[in-house]
Amino acid sequence: MLAPATGLIGVFVLLPMALTIWLAFQDWSTQTGFETAQFVGLDNFFAIFGSSSVGRDFKAALVNTAVYTGLSVVVIVPLSVALGLLVHQRLAPGGIMLRTVLFSTYMVPMIAVALVWSKLYSPTEGPINQMLGWVGIGPQPWLSSPSTALVSLVVLNVWQQVGYFTVLAVAGLTQIPPTLYEAARMDGASAWRQFHAITLPLLSNTLLFSAVIAVINAVQVFEPVALITQGGPVNSTNVLTYHIRRVGIERAQGGLGSAMAVTLMLALVVAITLLFALARSREERA
Amino acid sequence: MSAARPRIFASPQEGLLTLLIIVVAVVAAFPMVWMVLSSLKTPQESMQVPPVWLPATPNLSAYAEVADVVSLGRSLVNSAVIATVTTAAIIVTSLMAGYAFAKYRFRGREALFAVLIAAMFLPPIVTLIPLYRITGYLGLNASLIGVIVPNLANAFGIFLMRQYIKGVPDELIDAARVDGASEMRILFKVVAPSVMPAIAALTLFAFVYHWNSYLWPLTVLQGQTEQYPIVISLSRLLSYNRGAMNTGLVMAGATMAVLPPVLLFVFLQRFFVDSIVSSGVKG
Repeated sequence: MLAPATGLIGVFVLLPMALTIWLAFQDWSTQTGFETAQFVGLDNFFAIFGSSSVGRDFKAALVNTAVYTGLSVVVIVPLSVALGLLVHQRLAPGGIMLRTVLFSTYMVPMIAVALVWSKLYSPTEGPINQMLGWVGIGPQPWLSSPSTALVSLVVLNVWQQVGYFTVLAVAGLTQIPPTLYEAARMDGASAWRQFHAITLPLLSNTLLFSAVIAVINAVQVFEPVALITQGGPVNSTNVLTYHIRRVGIERAQGGLGSAMAVTLMLALVVAITLLFALARSREERA
Repeated sequence: MSAARPRIFASPQEGLLTLLIIVVAVVAAFPMVWMVLSSLKTPQESMQVPPVWLPATPNLSAYAEVADVVSLGRSLVNSAVIATVTTAAIIVTSLMAGYAFAKYRFRGREALFAVLIAAMFLPPIVTLIPLYRITGYLGLNASLIGVIVPNLANAFGIFLMRQYIKGVPDELIDAARVDGASEMRILFKVVAPSVMPAIAALTLFAFVYHWNSYLWPLTVLQGQTEQYPIVISLSRLLSYNRGAMNTGLVMAGATMAVLPPVLLFVFLQRFFVDSIVSSGVKG
C-alpha cells in the first residue's frame, strides 16, 4: 500500500533533497553525471557570499526575495482577515459570491496573472495609470523602474493569493463560538474591543499557519520575474528561484546552484522558526 | 404592516457592507475582466493611448491567430494530458498510502509520516537541480513523460487522504475482511466511496496545480516546443512580434489557459473549501 507513494516521493523528492545538500559541497557541472563531482568543502558558499559577480547577484537575490516575502506576508495576512470578516459576516448578502471571486483568482495560472498585470501596469496604454490620472496622480513607472518593480510584483502576488488566505481566515472564524460574542455584547464591549479580545487571540493558530504558508509561497516566486522583468531593471527583481535556476540549470553550475538552494532552505527554516517563536511569545504575554 | 415601503436594505450598515462587498469583488475581478475584454479588441484598440475599455466591435480574430502562432490545440492537449494523468495517479497513490497511514499499525509509521509532512512544505526549487539530472539518467528529459513521472505521488494528497480515511469506521473495514475481500478491493470498494469529498478536493487541487505548473515543465522539456503545455506556450506569445507587441493575442492565449482550472473550481469549490478547512485548521 505504501510502496508506490513512498517510493516515488523517495526517488523524486527526498533523494534530490539529499543530493542538493551533498552537491552544495562539490564542484559539479549539471551537464555531467554525479560521479564527476569534486569535493570542494565550503568553496561554493564562499563564492555565493563573496564579492565576485556570482556573490553580488546571489546576495541581491536573497535580499529581493526577503523583501518580496516580507511585504507579501505583511499585506496578505491582515488583508485576508479583513476580507474573511467581510465574507463571514451575516448582516449583508454576497459573502459567498465574494469568496468565489476572490478564490477564483487563486486558480488562475501565475503565468496568465503575470501577462495580464504586465498590461495593466503598462505606463501608456495601461488602465492603472489611466485610473490614477482620473484622481490627479501622475503616471507611475511600475515595472520599468528599479524602485517600484519589486513592489509592483508584490501587488500582483497579493491579488493572486489573498483569496486562498481569506478562505483560511473564514475557516478560523467559523471555529469561534458565537456565544463568546453574545457574552461580550451583554458586557457592552465595542466591536473593536470584541475583535481585539476575542477574534484575534482565537485566530492566532490560523494566522500562524497563514503566515507560514504565505512565506513558503512567496519564496517560490518565479513566473512574473522569468516572464516580465527577467530580474531587472538593474537586478531589482532578481529573486532566488529565478537566480538558482539560471545558475544551476542554464549555466549548468550545479554545485553553486545547490549551495544557493541550501541557503534558501536554511533561510526558510530560520524564518519559520522565528514566526513560531513570535507566536509563542505573544501567547505568553497574553 | 400594510403598504410597507419596499426596502432593499434592512439597515444602513447592511447597505454599507453590501456596497463594500461589491467594491471589493469588482476590484478583485477587474484584472480578469480586463483580460477577456482585451482579447476581444482589435490590435489597434489594444495599443490605443489612453486605453479603450470596451472593444467597439468584439471579435475573436485574436483567438484564431493565437492558434496559429503557438499551435494552441497541441499545447492544450499537452496540458490536459499532464494534468489528467498526474491527477489520476495522485488519487490512486494517495488513497493507498493514506489508507496505510490511517488504518495500519507498523513500526516507524509516525516517523515516516513526519518525513512526508516535511516534504509537503519543500519548495520545488530546492530539489530542481539534482531532479533534472535524475530524470536525465532515466532518459525522461525533453518529453512529456519526464514532466509527469516525478509528480505521480504527492505528500499533500497522502496527508489529506489520511485525515479523511481516519474517519471511516474500522467496523466497516473489518466486516469486508471477514467477507474475504482483498485489501485493494476494500480500499476501492469500501474506503474510497466513503471519502468522495476528499477525492473531489484532491482532484481539483492536483489538476489545477499541474495545469498551472511552469518551473518543472520549462526545465525538463528543454525547449521542445511541441511538448509545451499551454502556460509555457503563452510565454512564447510575448516574444512573438508581428510589427508591434499584440496585446490582444497575449490576452486571448491567457484566457484559454485560465478557463479550465477556473471552470473546474467553480464546479468543485465546495469540496476545495472543505479540504482547506480540514487541512488548515484541524490539521
